Amino acid sequence: MPNIKLQSSDGETFEVDVEIAKCSVTIKTMLEDLGMDDEEEEVVPLPNVNSAILRKVIQWATYHKDDPPPPEDDDNKEKRTDDISSWDADFLKVDQGTLFELILAANYLDIKGLLDVTCKTVANMIKGKAPEEIRKTFNIKNDFTASEEEQVRKENEWCEEK
Amino acid sequence: MIYAGRNKFESIGTENREESNQDGNREDGEADSGRWWLHKYKKHPEKSPRNRNSTSQEACSSSTNISTENIDTGKGTPSTPKAMHVRSRCNPSVVREQLNKVFVEDEAPINKKLPKELLLRIFSYLDVVSLCRCAQVSKAWNILALDGSNWQRIDLFNFQKDVEGPIIENISRRCGGFLRQLSLRGCQSIADGSMKTLAQLCPNVEDLNMNGCKKLTDHTSTALSRHCPKLQRINLDSCAAITDNSLKALSDGCQNLTHVNVSWCSNITENGVEALARGCPRLKSFISKGCKQITSRAVICLARFCQQLEVVNLQGCNNIRDEAVQSLADRCTRLHYLCLSGCSALTDTALIALASNCHLLSTLEVAGCSQFTDMAFQALARNCRYLEKMDLDECVLITDATLIHLAMGCPRIEYLTLSHCELITDEGIRHLSMSPCAAENLTVLELDNCPLVTDASLEHLTSCHNLQRVELYDCQLITRNGIRRLRNHLPNIKVHAYFAPVTPPPTAGGSRQRYCRCCIIL
Repeated sequence: MPNIKLQSSDGETFEVDVEIAKCSVTIKTMLEDLGMDDEEEEVVPLPNVNSAILRKVIQWATYHKDDPPPPEDDDNKEKRTDDISSWDADFLKVDQGTLFELILAANYLDIKGLLDVTCKTVANMIKGKAPEEIRKTFNIKNDFTASEEEQVRKENEWCEEK
Repeated sequence: MIYAGRNKFESIGTENREESNQDGNREDGEADSGRWWLHKYKKHPEKSPRNRNSTSQEACSSSTNISTENIDTGKGTPSTPKAMHVRSRCNPSVVREQLNKVFVEDEAPINKKLPKELLLRIFSYLDVVSLCRCAQVSKAWNILALDGSNWQRIDLFNFQKDVEGPIIENISRRCGGFLRQLSLRGCQSIADGSMKTLAQLCPNVEDLNMNGCKKLTDHTSTALSRHCPKLQRINLDSCAAITDNSLKALSDGCQNLTHVNVSWCSNITENGVEALARGCPRLKSFISKGCKQITSRAVICLARFCQQLEVVNLQGCNNIRDEAVQSLADRCTRLHYLCLSGCSALTDTALIALASNCHLLSTLEVAGCSQFTDMAFQALARNCRYLEKMDLDECVLITDATLIHLAMGCPRIEYLTLSHCELITDEGIRHLSMSPCAAENLTVLELDNCPLVTDASLEHLTSCHNLQRVELYDCQLITRNGIRRLRNHLPNIKVHAYFAPVTPPPTAGGSRQRYCRCCIIL
């Protein structure tokens, strides 16, 4: 299998199997557009991804290299979040900063599978929590005034069990 | 209503948005939903600045930031002049303090790192309850959580007791053109006014379930007809106040309708159905359980104008005659679900017409059609080999011959109800048990009130490996032992039977009456 070199924003170079790298639609398109030959020793610069994150992304892509392509988003179905594989769950046991960086990288590199599973993981961090717990989880400041808070609470109380 | 202070609230939200613009990632967050907000903002231009001044602390801090960050990027221009204006009135130390405050405020990495569209993507995985809670977290999250893109499909069934008019109006405002599917099943407090608001604000709604919203009247349908041309599915089940005028209105404005349910709307007559049929030629599913005023003429109109019908349920429309079913059979050859239960005037002629034209039938419910005989089911079994589910409850004339034909002709039968088919015997069950459907598909068999069925039938049924449930209520010849033997073969089967408790022997010396008279007689 031919390899290509990916260069992170901080200058580190990673040599990756082309097929694995192509799970990123961004890289795939880039290679196709540039008509890069497999022979050539080109380096693909990825200025939006640092080496720590790129290493994680490559790890993820290597593990998932034989996966079938992820299904298209179907608006008609309620999206599930309880279908994260145990490998992915372990893989995503990282601090929030890394998790968000991974989301950004998956989005930039256009890797739908990784974007889905990272977003689901964050969604699961939100689900089942009260507003105050959500604030705590993400360190979000409550910027409502007392009266505004009362107002939004009233506005949204219909969905709470009484 | 809650939204008394909405404008103020929105303008505060603005600042929050602009504040977040300092993050370079935000630039492309202007999806439709962003415009949704901007639109509102423009609507009250005179209010927003005033509000800014009133909350000058925040206004000052956030816009200061924008003015430093956004000038060089050329973004956030609308806020820049205002920011300058505000800043000019702030003293420098306060500015520094507030700058710090902003950084503290923006400390949450989730908001700092992720652009709006990715936060929205995360929110797209959330259910209604989680979204409502997110809306209470902070101003920025309030805007994101209430973004219409999160509210395209809403099912309020679980909140039916709490859902009142203002909530629907609120949701309509949140969703706007995003809303495509809404289920208000069981939300009994909803009245026409709210639905009118919904129709006006959510013109793209495609699927509306108002099952059990008893207060709704024809005004709702009129509003939908006027504003919601994309409506494809409407469920008015048990909206008892609905009349023919609703169907007329819908046939006028909602010609894309494919699924209509007007069950238990007992005011509906053939006139309404005729209008609907003429106006909505794409109709695939028509359900009108218990609409006793629906006549053969109504069904003939449906058949004539809506030849794509696949699902028809006329349960309890007991004015339907053979000619109606004949007409359906002639023209709607794609029918795969038909319920005629309780249409007791029907005869074999109706079933034979179905048998000769509707070969795709997979569900046929004819409970209480007591004139049907073995001859009709023979025709059906010969022609409709895709039949999966049949309800023959109280088809009292049928005999084992029907079962023999079904066994031969319908290998897919999965669900068979023979309740009150009093002429069925062990012989019929034996044939059924030997059929291809028994070996492969038969899952549920209802034999309650079949008085001739004995333990021998249960013996035969042991060959039905997929059988999961058997109903045996009031099968007097069935014994506990017979059921036990069946269970030995099919350990997971659910058997429903009832055995009256043995009458206790009279206690010694108890000559006094201990039971009421009727029990003694029994």
